[in-house]
Amino acid sequence: MEKERTPKNIFVQGPISPEKIAQSVANHQSKTDIGGHSIFLGQVRKDQKENGTVVAIEYTAYEEMALQKAFEIREDIFAKYPLTCMHIYHSLGRVEVGQLCLFVFTSSKHRRAAMDACDELVERIKAELPVWGKELLDTDEHVWKVNQ
Amino acid sequence: MIAEEIGQSELVLDQLDSTELLKEYLFGQFPKLQSMKFSIAINQQLAQGDEKIPEGAEIALLPPFSGG
Repeated sequence: MEKERTPKNIFVQGPISPEKIAQSVANHQSKTDIGGHSIFLGQVRKDQKENGTVVAIEYTAYEEMALQKAFEIREDIFAKYPLTCMHIYHSLGRVEVGQLCLFVFTSSKHRRAAMDACDELVERIKAELPVWGKELLDTDEHVWKVNQ
Repeated sequence: MIAEEIGQSELVLDQLDSTELLKEYLFGQFPKLQSMKFSIAINQQLAQGDEKIPEGAEIALLPPFSGG
């Protein structure tokens, strides 16, 4: 199945398209031992900041370290939950408000593993990957995103 | 955001043996860093507390992560 043991690229230039997500779901129809998928989609929010309104986020990463870290997280989660599949995609570069910047997709025989694993993955991705979002404002200023 | 503050994105430094010595040097050189929150990665591993820095190491100053 889908259990590679080397870091794989999780980064996508620009937004993640809804079509990519649909295609990814479709790709799993041949894996008939799967009984449930869980999907998390992160979307860029049009926040009001002190100096303007967010129009886009520009993402940068310490890529090599981020990919290594993502690999470690992936291994941990595979060891912890009985998953069939796991996919992580994160945007780099500019993503407009309303567009998708994170796609986490887990699949398992029974729903609980997929749901819990997806949850934990999202939390760990946000806390542990050296990725930064620069919120670009309509005033041409910017602020650095802070994760809750 | 650190690069914005110190005006450069890469530095080549003489050997500093530990993360404490490194911080001392950087704070002297770039006082603005003192008020910034960051962690230090040595060869792409996060340093925990005061750590030894091997020769020729790749050091990164990492502001709080904000992916997703």
